[in-house]
Amino acid sequence: MTTETILNAIQGSAVSHAISKANHLLIAGFQVFHVMGFVLLLAALVLISLRLLGFILTQQTVPEVAHQALRLLWSGLALAVGSGLLMFIGSPRHYFYNPAFDLKMVLLVIATLVQAVLFRKVANSDHPSPWLARTSVALSLTLWFAVSMAGRAIGFV
Amino acid sequence: MTTIAAIANAIEATSIGTAIAESRYAFPIIEGTHLIALSVSVGLIFLTDLRLMGLFLRQVPAAAVLHGLRPYVLCGFALVFLSGGLLFWAEAAEVIASPAWVFKFAFIGLAGLNAVYFEFVIARRPGALSPERGALPRPVKLAGLASLTIWTLVVICGRLIAYLPHWS
Repeated sequence: MTTETILNAIQGSAVSHAISKANHLLIAGFQVFHVMGFVLLLAALVLISLRLLGFILTQQTVPEVAHQALRLLWSGLALAVGSGLLMFIGSPRHYFYNPAFDLKMVLLVIATLVQAVLFRKVANSDHPSPWLARTSVALSLTLWFAVSMAGRAIGFV
Repeated sequence: MTTIAAIANAIEATSIGTAIAESRYAFPIIEGTHLIALSVSVGLIFLTDLRLMGLFLRQVPAAAVLHGLRPYVLCGFALVFLSGGLLFWAEAAEVIASPAWVFKFAFIGLAGLNAVYFEFVIARRPGALSPERGALPRPVKLAGLASLTIWTLVVICGRLIAYLPHWS
């Protein structure tokens, strides 16, 4: 099956029709959830990062701060991806052929991998090496900032 | 034309206003910065609110969360106001016509009042942030809930500015 067939199948589906024919405030609603999901993700990430760098809550261990925050981070991501998926289903061709969207998806995959493999491991260890902690923080924050910048660019290219 | 609309038009027509509006890169970059900065400031406020409500980081003292995050919340806000100010400069006349923009700023004012009341009245009561045992006092929890609700409304209204350009 080619990309074209898949995009056409999504565009021709009942869900896609329902979303694209609905009031434009439905899309605005999806976007609100999309932004709120990202806000939760980034807030949790910044909280854990500040603790990893030793700037806040130094009376607590890294995992004590990170445990609940990591769950919030993944919930935020789920909310953003879920609402994003609904927006994509509503007009798949519009997004797929947008270079900013393609860039965002590549960055999203890399950011998620770094989050799941490197950052989570560091945030769950009692005494991560300072060098490793700083590297994961820098890498993760840069990637998620880039994801949001690419996302913001979708409407402008 | 009302005076307010005339002022907004004059702001937008200045050289910086038109430069931002017409630049291919400046506008989306400033919008992206606004989004990231608000995720840090409003996002960290959400985490503080959840702590006050007893839903997040219960094993960490509320005062430590509140005071530890404050400088980062304030830095984030500086960037939010700076980037938001530049966006306003570029499209002042359009945004003030949107009901979502008016409500957004009304809610920001309300959030500010809530924060001031919390900081100078509720939080100063003895034992407000460090109770002998168990949950924080009810007014503290309610202040957290109010902050969470109002800032959520600010984000919703912000996103709706583009979708609700006019009152009718």
